[in-house]
Amino acid sequence: MLAGLIKPTEGHVSLDDYKENDIRKHIGYLPQHPQFHSWMTGREFLIYAAQLSHLPKKEAAQKADSLLNRFELQEMKNRKIKKYSGGMKQRLGIAQAIIHSPKVLLLDEPVSALDPIGRRTILNLMEQLKKETTLLYSTHILGDAEEVSDEILLMHKGAVVESGSLDKVKQRHNVDKITLRFAKDTKKYQNILENLSSVIKTEYKKQTLQVYVTDPVIAKDEVLSLAVSEKWPLLHFEVGRTTLEDLFMKVVNEHAVADPI
Amino acid sequence: MQWLTLYKKECLESARNFKWIWVPLVFILLCITDPLSTYYLPLILESTGGLPEGAVIEIPTPLPFEVFMMSISQLNLLGILVIALITMGTISGERKDGVAELILVKPVSYFSYITAKWTAYMTLILSSTFIGFLASWYYIELLFGDLSFTNILLTFLFFGIWLMFVVSISIFMNTSSKLPGIVLFLTLGTLIAMNLGTTIFSTYLEWSPSKIVSYLPVLLNNGYVPEDLWFSSFGAAILSALFIFGATLLLKRREMV
Repeated sequence: MLAGLIKPTEGHVSLDDYKENDIRKHIGYLPQHPQFHSWMTGREFLIYAAQLSHLPKKEAAQKADSLLNRFELQEMKNRKIKKYSGGMKQRLGIAQAIIHSPKVLLLDEPVSALDPIGRRTILNLMEQLKKETTLLYSTHILGDAEEVSDEILLMHKGAVVESGSLDKVKQRHNVDKITLRFAKDTKKYQNILENLSSVIKTEYKKQTLQVYVTDPVIAKDEVLSLAVSEKWPLLHFEVGRTTLEDLFMKVVNEHAVADPI
Repeated sequence: MQWLTLYKKECLESARNFKWIWVPLVFILLCITDPLSTYYLPLILESTGGLPEGAVIEIPTPLPFEVFMMSISQLNLLGILVIALITMGTISGERKDGVAELILVKPVSYFSYITAKWTAYMTLILSSTFIGFLASWYYIELLFGDLSFTNILLTFLFFGIWLMFVVSISIFMNTSSKLPGIVLFLTLGTLIAMNLGTTIFSTYLEWSPSKIVSYLPVLLNNGYVPEDLWFSSFGAAILSALFIFGATLLLKRREMV
């Protein structure tokens, strides 16, 4: 809808400072599964896309070449797009989305269908693009979101349930906890930990022990001194800030409770 | 500028998938089969030897313009099928596999998008038809006798209007479904229904585009444009324009994703 492909049933989409009706000029868009004219070469497609965005022919060709270099597609630029791999198509997709230097770049799950290397490349690109333009993208891989985003919007059942800068949102929902992993006898240590004054509750899941505490600084000292004096078989110790994934589950759960369907 | 980009892309696509080669070839083939087979019919009958001894068959040699009409009716049947086939996926296919999504988020006017496609296909089809006409004319001059080239040009003009009408219907149907097969069905269905309607209500529908071809023999024979031909061509032009505008409106309201 933001890209102008679907007409809103109510309200309208506007972009600051741009009063004209057709905001498509200022938007770059990459669909989840981008499809190209597979009979074109990568270079041809980029020039075509640039010309459609009203770039003159010469400039279009220059822009296309520089983007092909930047996205490491120069060796493939004269091959037909049908020969491209998923990662190449994704890079070509981003290239065609930014070829007219849009004010806003929309990416729909840019990394969800890629192999780890392709994913890493795209994430690095996104890190760079962030500096040039406003980047708005959707993902369900929250680790990626945490890595690249400055601000996040959490959506649940079509409505925004939480929004703000990543740090602020994290602070708001921060849960102090310590994550522990033992080589053996986890149950035994769980009982010991639950009797500590600074511990609220403990939770055992997937080999790890989540210890929720009132004050992480005091609790850390307590747990560590115990571990040293009693020679606990500790494998893993982490004073945890909430990850985005925890945060998402928490927010969505709260809303599911508040608004049961 | 942008329109030209879209138009060039369409032409390039038609060249890359060899439409610019096989469509003219098919049209030539359709146009020359009748002049050749009509002329050589006695010879063919003789050499296949299907006739009893002593049988005499007088086959009257048709007039040059009658032979040319045979070529036109071939184009009118199989040629139109070819046209419907090559245009059936031009928008619907792009929408179906998602390229349209990528193109139409660019600041592209829907009207340019449609008219560029329409013009590109008209260029291909009219050139093919013209080449076919030339081929037919060549063999008729060679085998049957003289036929005025001016008349052929005039005929080409009016037959072109009829083909334009067919392309416009197909483009319009392209925006109504994402499935090329459905587009083909709707295009041919509309043409057949129009033909039927025109035959039934023929007294009221002298201006119907389906009647263009039936007025062509007069034009071809003595270079005179019957009044009804003007009307039906005018009708075809108006209806084509309506189909193109309708296609633009319809495409604007479609969801691309």
